Amino acid sequence: MKPARITSILLACAGLAGCVTATVQEVRETATAMSTGDSIVVLGRRSQPTAAETELDFISCVADNMGRGQNALNVVNEQRFLDATFPWFEPRIAPLNHTELPTIIKQAPLAARLDEMGLKYLVWIEGSTQRIDSGGSLSCVVGPGGGGCFGFLSWEKDSSYEASVWDVETGQTAGKISSEATGMSYMPAVIVPIPLIARVRSSACSSLANQLKSFVVN
Amino acid sequence: MLERFAKCALISALALAAFGCAGAKVAVPTGFPVPQVSKVPLPVGLYLDEALLSYVHRESLEQRGDWEIELGSAQQPMFDNLLSGLFIGHRRVLQLGGAHDDIAGVLAPSIEELQFSIPEQTRSEYYEVWIRYRFELHANDGEKLGQWDLTAYGKAHQQNHAGASAALRSAALVACRDAMAFFTQQFGKVPVVQTWLSSELGGSA
Repeated sequence: MKPARITSILLACAGLAGCVTATVQEVRETATAMSTGDSIVVLGRRSQPTAAETELDFISCVADNMGRGQNALNVVNEQRFLDATFPWFEPRIAPLNHTELPTIIKQAPLAARLDEMGLKYLVWIEGSTQRIDSGGSLSCVVGPGGGGCFGFLSWEKDSSYEASVWDVETGQTAGKISSEATGMSYMPAVIVPIPLIARVRSSACSSLANQLKSFVVN
Repeated sequence: MLERFAKCALISALALAAFGCAGAKVAVPTGFPVPQVSKVPLPVGLYLDEALLSYVHRESLEQRGDWEIELGSAQQPMFDNLLSGLFIGHRRVLQLGGAHDDIAGVLAPSIEELQFSIPEQTRSEYYEVWIRYRFELHANDGEKLGQWDLTAYGKAHQQNHAGASAALRSAALVACRDAMAFFTQQFGKVPVVQTWLSSELGGSA
């Protein structure tokens, strides 16, 4: 088989993907707006001790998506924020609901750092992506003359995330946005396995980031 | 010869993959933030003994290999940053006894115990680290005023890190940051510290 033909087959396979169904819901409690110089931070909720924790790469995915493209926002890096405001947003001390925020931001050194950053909104993200179902079987054989796989695998993933937007100036919850995505991935194999991956988490991330962007700029 | 070596390496790698985790050896990173809190208007001393500065926790887990967490090299930057955020000034003292006229007291931390767990032990998805610190507070004339313990906790989800070493290192770092946060939050509430602050600040603490 010619290299060009192999490349075109691989590219065609890469273009195939499982289907994803995504829904986003928004509840607004107060009006929002961002001016030039205002910033926003996206934080993952990390409670103690062992409890479900939002994936670090999901938090950075949402932050990155909000910080680029049309209406890009000034998004503060999560780790930079945690270091600059230490220890107020560490798992042991972080406010669990917006009513605790005014007391914390009254601390003069913290208030000064938040002011330096121009922080307008704080977004807490909770949730995770789980594999909820899987089936099929696939076996591979390797011998002196070569090898191959035969079978069929499928699995379903579900992403469920909720973002709470806190207004740092008023200490109020500005609103909540939830993003859910479900998708089935497949891997048929006749000699070569061909993965058809449903990008569930990626879909939940971009939906949530886009909605958050339009939410805060009103 | 080279082929034989490659076969050996492949067999070792396959054995490692088949029989699971073979332990890890990690050192906690030395970058720590400074607490953003109102400073106590007193200069203090910091005594870090050799046992703390060279602290290494070694443990063998049955069928899970040998594990090593090196915390000692992180202690000086950690406590330097902690005290520079909490007090108007601090300096290292090389011995606990003796008078120090330029400081109001001396803080001497030590690690009493470290425990950790890996996901295979807890059937969870987390690497977890607990560190029990003991803090002694000494007056500037060397007299021991009291002590208190503080247990810090850190966890790291295995899916957020590439391998056991990275996850364990992250959990240990989170535990160190938790110790700093806990100390910052609790310091003014410890009875021996309250008494010391009252006497040093003339009841304005």
